[in-house]
Amino acid sequence: MSHSTEIDSKQAWDGGQSPFRVSYGKMMMWFFLISDALTFGGLLTSYGFIRHKYADVWPKAENVFTHFPFVEQHLPLAYVGLMTFILIMSSVTMVLAVEAGHRNDKKKVIVWMFWTIVGGATFVGSQAWEWYHFIVGTETGALRHVWSQELHTYVEETVYGANMTVNEYGVPQFANYFFFITGFHGFHVFSGVMINLIIFLNVLKGTYEKRGHYEMIEKVGLYWHFVDLVWVFVFTFFYLL
Amino acid sequence: MSEFHDDYPSYEHMAHHSEEEGKKTRKTLWRVFWYMLAITIFELVIGSMAPAQGWSGTLGLKVLFIGLTILKAGFIVMAFMHLGHEVKFFKYVVLAPYLIFMSYTIFIVLDEGIYSGDPENRTKVDPILIKQQEDLRAGHGAHHAGGEATPAHGTEHSAEEALH
Repeated sequence: MSHSTEIDSKQAWDGGQSPFRVSYGKMMMWFFLISDALTFGGLLTSYGFIRHKYADVWPKAENVFTHFPFVEQHLPLAYVGLMTFILIMSSVTMVLAVEAGHRNDKKKVIVWMFWTIVGGATFVGSQAWEWYHFIVGTETGALRHVWSQELHTYVEETVYGANMTVNEYGVPQFANYFFFITGFHGFHVFSGVMINLIIFLNVLKGTYEKRGHYEMIEKVGLYWHFVDLVWVFVFTFFYLL
Repeated sequence: MSEFHDDYPSYEHMAHHSEEEGKKTRKTLWRVFWYMLAITIFELVIGSMAPAQGWSGTLGLKVLFIGLTILKAGFIVMAFMHLGHEVKFFKYVVLAPYLIFMSYTIFIVLDEGIYSGDPENRTKVDPILIKQQEDLRAGHGAHHAGGEATPAHGTEHSAEEALH
């Protein structure tokens, strides 16, 4: 950065300055993201373990997620591809808002923050739509052995869609992990949209203009990129592999 | 702002840049976006070709997808999250703990999870479900997981026996 004072590496740790040359808030956001990334890392590792254990009965994503809005045909993975595009796009608009903030360009910050919020909200909505189709299932359903309370035995029954105990597409564990990990990620996206919205309102009010810098945009931007980062991994492990 | 001034440099104010620098930054960011879009489209094309070409589940495909994912993650962290431009020491402070802990987690799952490949070591799976997945893998009733839900002719044992 042009205005930053260069730090002599010999004096970096002598005090009076940050040897990292970042502000407290930004550093703490990074530390929070490391811990959050470890949570997602742990979840995805355990997903890998269970998937390996049930490899022979694990459903293939291209047989499960075949719907596309307003289209009758089956288009495997097309919708999730679109969702990924939307999230990457909103990451780009976010980083453009950060860049505009560095130039104290309030108008551009407003524009790019607005599109980031629109992209995030669209993604959450798409995920809800995907969940809906996964829970409702196909018209034909699939046969399963289901425990009967009256007969105290397992009976054959047609099940539709997926929930925490039965899953017409494959083993219930697939649905369990799908709901948990995409749900946890979706909740992060939802929180991100809410945080972005609050910061957006502050930008409109001129809070950061008065402060003289738009670093808050950078901090929420870090969180927002992190959400995109997690999705890149979820997309690979749930849909591609 | 506060009336208590100290000699500390204000890092928030340092992050400003000029119009020309902004132009250069934006160009880089858009380039990164096109790279990521190209990678995602490439992944989807390969992913949709895989079943017909018999690539599904092959080691090469897995390595390719995971490699491309890590490449995309690198783009996001280094360019979008700006970590590539931070002080070298800060880069290590962020990346080293994460990479060490994750390598350990993955190692321990691979090492201790060896037994999990054996079907004996898991909860019994519904035989109808096993039949359904076998049919799907053999290419019957693709697209429709439920499809022609085979009326349990795969079950030699009674349901109760199979599930207990």
